[in-house]
Amino acid sequence: MTERLSLLALSRRRLLMAVPAVATAALLTTAVTALAQTAGDPRNGGDISFLIDSLGNTWIPNNSAISSFQGHIWGHVTDKLVYVDADGKVSPWLAESWEQNEQATEFILRLKSGVTFSDGTPLDASAVVANLDIWYAGRRQDGINPIGLFPKTYERSAAVDATTVKVSFKAPTLGFIPTLGYHGSILVSPKTIARPAAEQADLGKTSGSGPYLVQSWKEGDFVKLVKRKDYNWGPPAVGHTGPAFLDTITYKLVSEPSLRVAAVQSGQADVAYNASPQELQSLKNAGFPVATPRYLGFVNGLAINTKLEPYNDVKVRQALQAGINRQEIIDTVYTPDWKLATSFVQSNVPGATDHSKLLAYDPRKAEKLLDEAGWVRGSDGVRRKDGKQLSLTLHSNPYLATSKSVDELIAQQLAKIGWKVFIRAYDVVTYGEKVRFGGPGVPGYEVTRSFIDAGTVASILTDANNGENWFALGESDKTLNELRDKIASAGSTEIRDPLLNELQRYVLEQGYFIPKTQIVQRIYVQSPKLKGEIYNGIAYASYYTATKRK
Amino acid sequence: MARTPAARGNPYLSYAAKRLIQAVVVILLAYVFTFVVVSILPGDPITSVLRDPQNGFSESEIQEIIAAQGLDKPIIIQLWTSLSHFVVGDLGLSMRSSRPVTTLIAEVLPSTLVLAGTGLVVALLLAMVIAYGTQFVPKRFGQGLLRGLPSLSLSVPNFVIGLVLIHAFGFQLGLFRVLEPNSLWATVFAGIALGIPVSAQIAEVLIANLDNESRQEYAAVARGRGLGQMRLFTKHLLKPSSLPVVTVLALTVGELLGGSLITETVFGRTGVGSLVQRSVSTQDLPVLQAIVSLTAVVFVLINLAADLVYPLLDPRVKLLGASKFRPTSADEGSGVSQAVAS
Repeated sequence: MTERLSLLALSRRRLLMAVPAVATAALLTTAVTALAQTAGDPRNGGDISFLIDSLGNTWIPNNSAISSFQGHIWGHVTDKLVYVDADGKVSPWLAESWEQNEQATEFILRLKSGVTFSDGTPLDASAVVANLDIWYAGRRQDGINPIGLFPKTYERSAAVDATTVKVSFKAPTLGFIPTLGYHGSILVSPKTIARPAAEQADLGKTSGSGPYLVQSWKEGDFVKLVKRKDYNWGPPAVGHTGPAFLDTITYKLVSEPSLRVAAVQSGQADVAYNASPQELQSLKNAGFPVATPRYLGFVNGLAINTKLEPYNDVKVRQALQAGINRQEIIDTVYTPDWKLATSFVQSNVPGATDHSKLLAYDPRKAEKLLDEAGWVRGSDGVRRKDGKQLSLTLHSNPYLATSKSVDELIAQQLAKIGWKVFIRAYDVVTYGEKVRFGGPGVPGYEVTRSFIDAGTVASILTDANNGENWFALGESDKTLNELRDKIASAGSTEIRDPLLNELQRYVLEQGYFIPKTQIVQRIYVQSPKLKGEIYNGIAYASYYTATKRK
Repeated sequence: MARTPAARGNPYLSYAAKRLIQAVVVILLAYVFTFVVVSILPGDPITSVLRDPQNGFSESEIQEIIAAQGLDKPIIIQLWTSLSHFVVGDLGLSMRSSRPVTTLIAEVLPSTLVLAGTGLVVALLLAMVIAYGTQFVPKRFGQGLLRGLPSLSLSVPNFVIGLVLIHAFGFQLGLFRVLEPNSLWATVFAGIALGIPVSAQIAEVLIANLDNESRQEYAAVARGRGLGQMRLFTKHLLKPSSLPVVTVLALTVGELLGGSLITETVFGRTGVGSLVQRSVSTQDLPVLQAIVSLTAVVFVLINLAADLVYPLLDPRVKLLGASKFRPTSADEGSGVSQAVAS
């Protein structure tokens, strides 16, 4: 029945579909070979629509590349120097090879030749230098932000020749190469970079080197991408390097989640982004593929403010760590697609180790710890010490739709061992204003953060070198500082991995970070006709390799 | 206000000059009011983007960027900067998207004009059918029902009408698809949802005027000379009773603009309404100010036009009498500010 309906809708859609006929970019000689490769390929053709809940704020590349929404478009319009897959494996892309010195302070990148931006500019060493410079520094006066997670140790880069770039750092930076595959590190044409912010904000004028071009767009409405026919430099890791197969991809804003899913179910659209987890099982049963890829990054959890009483007491933090039933969160709020946290970084991050023992649900241990710390249960079941209630205020994260439901469940779990939990749910603007790491009245800051390289983790945790000081420890924890400095100066992963393992154990043991679950921030429901999409290390879907059954 | 010598001799000119100065004051007040209200609210679009946890900016970096943008200056200085640009017609850049405000508004205006136009046509047609119907439908065949329609349609909020229309004609009958809000049928039904409440006011005025005119002596004389109801209506009653609609039309501009904000959201159209919604949720001050000020300008101009055209249409109108009881654009300015603030 549904099958027949969707076929009807599809034929009607095909009738309604306007045939795009735009060819602005001058075709280069590579086009001929590329065309020859895929001409007559039965997989060619097809148009898909992707329904999304937001299209973000601005299209300035630096300010929007990391957006959970706009990142989808950038992933098709631009390329990166290296490719990072879902397991964090780094492989060559526009940088065909690279070398580093012993201390990891100098890197040489060797570029693929013959790559061009859609405005005709060659993607050569000088173009890469221009990109590295703006990622690091931005242009603050002009409203162009730096890329937040780009190594702050960056010193300079120079074009040795047309395909060789030399990059220097002020200190060892082992994370540099993986960071090049991070979603912020998108290569755009030097001509685009030279433009003022107001022009960079016009998506139609931005040139990347990706397999798709922006054909048309309207702010807050849609972005329509069309295949670039002379594209011939896809990442070898995805098993295809020629032009994409699908003709067009249309990202359309539909703010109501049930409407997005209903449109895919009725065959009016191909992908619905961010469906609610509760709907996934019935969609799967109805034969709609559902993807819940995890990005490389921190798990979803709380960074505890150790300046705030009673969380300056390690026993209270450890009680909190043991008093949360993480399996129940997955069983109640999520589906089996979600995974238990095994550390405070996602388990697919290279260098992540398994610390499940430290995260086991043990209410008796939690009660014992609270007793030892002097928190005594009153007649109402709430623990008190010196007349103060044992309370916890959770600020649900507006960037994660399920955050409030998880907090409500945690409130019930903690109530059993004598905690009084308050939940605050703010909108994005208010949240950004009131809720900070270590902020007053914020005992725990809920983390939703991706990163490409675990080496950047340690430097975030304290306040040295502009770190974010997640636990409000400053420089007070000697062990943490020592681990941070050793990890930062490690010149190879062999030296670094044991240190990372030690860092994970220590942070969880001290109750500095309280994981909830491994995070899935991007949920995809798609039409069974669409096949072959690939999810990268940041859990964005790439339709570069996808095909659609007619 | 000191009168200019030229205006002193001509009451019409002095009245026009007064209205013009009023209008400018209203627009400036609307501008300052919006600025102050939005500035008092916590947060701003730039920091809310910077604080996106994916960015990983530290507090000191965020402060640096804010300072570079001049957002840490006192409100009064920021207001002065923005006002001095506004006065010379420079609407500046959107804080949220960094694109020129004029571009943003130009992108969404056509869609809203089409919607408002459709709504206006629907409202006029509906009002005419109802009002002229009251003149022809006999009392025992439901004239009372027709007379009750305007107050009924005025009391149903237009998002309810919109949702009912979407459900009935979109989902049930499949006349339009929710994903294509700009298709012909979707636009027509959005126009209907917008036009129904607006039609009520026009219909009320028309009915009152028709009743009034048909009680006049000249109508009685015409009837006495054996003129049929149809002839009487078309030849004598239609024009004089339809004139006040010009005034009401000027007033419904506000209704149409306010209503289109809601209707656009319900029907998923991308227009001025959705731009306002996006700008409010991110506190995009330059865009909000431009829209509020432009709305004030439009409203003032249309009311001014109505005032100036009216005497030409109906010689019976006394020049200064008309202005006494017509609401000024000040009411509208506050109405928009309320809509924006809510």
